Amino acid sequence: MEKNLSHYRDIMTRGIWSENPVAYQVLGICSALAVTVKMSTAVVMSIALTLVAAFSGLIISTMRHWIPSNIRIIVELTVIASLVIVTDQILKAFLYDISKQLSIFVGLIITNCIILGRAEAYAMANNPVDSFVDGMANGLGYSMILLAVAFLRELLGSGQFFGFSVIPRFLYDMGFQDMGIMVLAPGAFFIIGLLVWLKNSLPGVSHEKK
Amino acid sequence: MSDKKKSFKNSRVYVVLFALVNALVFSVLITSAATMLKERQLENMALDKRTNLLEAADLVPLDKKPTPDDIKQIYDTHIREVHVDARGRIMETATDSSLQLYLIHTDQKVQGYIVPISTRGLWGKIHGYMAFEEDGETVSGFSVYSHSETPGLGGEIESDWFQKNFKGKKILNASNQLVSVGIAKGRAENLPEKLQDHYVDGISGATLTGRYLSEGLEETLTKYEPVSILFRQKKGSQAHVETILDE
Repeated sequence: MEKNLSHYRDIMTRGIWSENPVAYQVLGICSALAVTVKMSTAVVMSIALTLVAAFSGLIISTMRHWIPSNIRIIVELTVIASLVIVTDQILKAFLYDISKQLSIFVGLIITNCIILGRAEAYAMANNPVDSFVDGMANGLGYSMILLAVAFLRELLGSGQFFGFSVIPRFLYDMGFQDMGIMVLAPGAFFIIGLLVWLKNSLPGVSHEKK
Repeated sequence: MSDKKKSFKNSRVYVVLFALVNALVFSVLITSAATMLKERQLENMALDKRTNLLEAADLVPLDKKPTPDDIKQIYDTHIREVHVDARGRIMETATDSSLQLYLIHTDQKVQGYIVPISTRGLWGKIHGYMAFEEDGETVSGFSVYSHSETPGLGGEIESDWFQKNFKGKKILNASNQLVSVGIAKGRAENLPEKLQDHYVDGISGATLTGRYLSEGLEETLTKYEPVSILFRQKKGSQAHVETILDE
């Protein structure tokens, strides 16, 4: 049991920190650019992606002994696409407002490289429980970066946090202006680049020395 | 895994069978999820449409989120759904060429009307409502309930700041010709003064969405112009609008 716990902790830290999908594997960048203008969409996107990553890992890993290797990618995609569609349907039925806000991005989880990447690289070779934990860890790692980027972009680009204005009025009166570039895609590129640089320059993190 | 099993796993028959079974299982999953949730989703959509219509007419209380029952109650008290013909007169039954129109009632009096908007956007159809005051030229509200524009860019058409801009705009110019309401490139206040009444602030990064929406609004308002004309004729007179429309 003790060994098991540390084993799962190991999978978690790898997914969330040392092999973070965005900062280390540089996967899932496209959606990290798209949904990070505001915190609220980034949060729901994070939850949806983490759930899909975890459950697609579980299902694909359960099926892995029966999947013929020459059609495995398409089978993985069937599983992922089905999960995403079901998630989308559930959101539409129970959280209609949020599903309207996320619109096409829920559907775009299908094309998120993190999910297919983990299915192909991990779930096809490991047991279901490990794959579930691994999917969740990678989802959380992605969420961490996503939320950090969204926080900075919303703050600098619109002066808001979850839609509430947080920059005091007098700063605007003194000539402070929101950074328009943060609302556009290039702003996300800069922030993600800076975050990756920051993460890899922390002591003991850089993978160049390995 | 034995070699025999391995080669069997990649045999053509197995691959085809696996693909078929796999496809079948997951299509059943998706279909059952979709069918089971369909009723709830349709309810949500219908409610969302009505809420939007009431928002365009400025009838939804802003202080708290209305419950589905509130919406139904407000809708039933204030909105009358009618169909009008090409001359703007109310018809008994809907036909293929009739236009859907919503009359806003308060205390038995018509306070204005709502026109459904349906136009192309950049990625798909944009559906919404535009409400007018009883003078037949002043926009009293605008709302969008369904679109497929890029969130954060064209998707901003459903945000409050964009929709509030429409309030008070005029669809007639100084010489009483229909000019519709357009979406400016950039801010409307940068336009020449005589255009400011007919333009709302644009959305940066969504020039095409704005252009298509402007075109769609103009097209729709041209179709509904007979109705607007009837409302303008009524202006100043004591006649009941519905009696004019009913004639």
